[in-house]
Amino acid sequence: MIVDALRRRVYAAVDTLERLVGGLGTAVLALALMVWVGVVAVTSLAGVGLVLAPSAARGVRAVADRERARLSRWGPEIIGPEPLRPGLRAWRDPVVWRELAWVAEHATLGFAISIFGLTIPLAAVQDVTYPLWWWTVSPNSAPGLVFWSVHSQLDALGVALYGLAWLVVGIFVGPLLVRTQAWAGRRLLAPPPGTDLSLRIVELTATRAAALDAHAAELRRIERSLHDGAQNRLVAVSVLLGAARRAVARDPADAGELLDRAQEAAEQALAELRTVVRGILPPVLDGRGLDGALAGLAADCVVPCRLDVDLPRRCAVSVEATAYFVVAESLTNVTKHSGATAVQVTARMEDQTLKLTIEDNGRGGADESGGSGITGIRRRVEAYDGTLTLTSPAGGPTTMRVELPCGL
Amino acid sequence: MRIVIAEDDALLREGLALLLRAESLDVVATTDGPDTFLAAVDEHKPDVAIVDVRMPPTHTDEGIVAAVEARRRLPGLAVLVLSAYVEQAFATDLLAGGAAGLGYLLKERVGRVEQFLEALHRVADGGTAVDPEVVGLLLARNRPDDALARLSPRERDVLALMAEGLGNTAIAERLVVTEGAVHKHIRSIFAKLDLAPDDRADRRVTAVLRYLRQ
Repeated sequence: MIVDALRRRVYAAVDTLERLVGGLGTAVLALALMVWVGVVAVTSLAGVGLVLAPSAARGVRAVADRERARLSRWGPEIIGPEPLRPGLRAWRDPVVWRELAWVAEHATLGFAISIFGLTIPLAAVQDVTYPLWWWTVSPNSAPGLVFWSVHSQLDALGVALYGLAWLVVGIFVGPLLVRTQAWAGRRLLAPPPGTDLSLRIVELTATRAAALDAHAAELRRIERSLHDGAQNRLVAVSVLLGAARRAVARDPADAGELLDRAQEAAEQALAELRTVVRGILPPVLDGRGLDGALAGLAADCVVPCRLDVDLPRRCAVSVEATAYFVVAESLTNVTKHSGATAVQVTARMEDQTLKLTIEDNGRGGADESGGSGITGIRRRVEAYDGTLTLTSPAGGPTTMRVELPCGL
Repeated sequence: MRIVIAEDDALLREGLALLLRAESLDVVATTDGPDTFLAAVDEHKPDVAIVDVRMPPTHTDEGIVAAVEARRRLPGLAVLVLSAYVEQAFATDLLAGGAAGLGYLLKERVGRVEQFLEALHRVADGGTAVDPEVVGLLLARNRPDDALARLSPRERDVLALMAEGLGNTAIAERLVVTEGAVHKHIRSIFAKLDLAPDDRADRRVTAVLRYLRQ
């Protein structure tokens, strides 16, 4: 029982240390941010800083979100506020001011708590082990939290006892410090009392419904492409084969032509099946992520393809699959129709939006109604609430821009 | 026999026309949507229309709507509807105004050219052609307290073929039995479904409709 109690104490102490270190991390960020906010505030008086004010608000939100996540890991979840309003209007939101108040508190008091809380165990360890190494240091120096000078082994043993006392103090005071540090965050970063969470619920409900809609649209799209493509091709194969059988009896020469057509239709069916399957969820995405998957596409492309991908993080799987499909289909188009000698694919992440650009130096004149697969791309992109713009003047070049909300 | 085809898939449309022309049938127009189809019906006054169910703009049931409209404009027009999959609601919509001169087949049946042509001729002659799949679907449904449940498996086969629109001779051929045997099964079906012999002309249709509407 004593062993159990001791083990629990040790675990709690380790937890406490971890939380103090985490608190120090956000406190350092808060400190840096205070400096930045100060600069922006002062320069704003001269007007120049106003340009930077929105970025300061974003900084405050970023650090506050980090602390929310950290505190949520160690206790009840802190629900985040609505997204920032764009531009200067961000500062009209009282939530941002509460966050700023927290930043000020955490950069000072929170910072001090972490430093003090971490000093105790460090100093205690130093003190407890002092008898082992006191003679290696100069007599006028002293280990952590010792405010007198040590001259003998006996003095050193005294320091060790003193360190042990600090260790005990640390074990009991540590959790208190952690709670104090978290208290301000929990008070200031939680939704203000009286805030109507129903707005947040409405927003979540809407995004969830949109996600379900996108899902249904996606299923419909797959059904359509299977029906319009592979299924009809296969029926045509069957019809042509039936006609060929009848023709064999009459005139074998006719049958040859019919069989040719049937084979052509079967090959088309296979090609379309491949497209549909590739469009559902390419396995390569799981293994190598979007940039790896796009690199594979670029390498396989017959037309030399330059790839410029800069994606700091991953998107929802379905969005990545759509992006992959868009690039795969466009490169197929470039190869088949454009006569280009080079194609450039760019992928960027901006403001929760995945932006794709596919540009070739071909003959242009791409037409959506020409059955070149652009309709399929558009359908797919729109199912995800994205946009597609195609510019392709006769004579080229052709540029396709696709924007997809990331969904995360 | 003058035929108009409405099918939005180009390859399939041409394949169908090719097949029918090779059989020396007179395909007077091929169309790719409900509007062009109705215009062709007005212009050519065909004997038979072969219509795809899913056509632009919404790709749902344009073919059925167009077929019903075409029969309103040109009474007596035989219509053979082709569908990529069985949708019982479509069959019911189509047959709501009577089953004479109507057919509902899965697209892939066209590949079995002899049977497809037989169905086409049957529909053109005012008969009916219902896809075995539709019939099978209706048959598979569970209805424990139905008079139909009293039928023997062989009698069900016969009734199913009747529902497809086949005559006694054709049924006998399909089941590889004599026509006499088919007659016997049909009498037994009428008895089990309590169809009195005095309205003899209607009994066959009544049995089939009862079967289809279940």
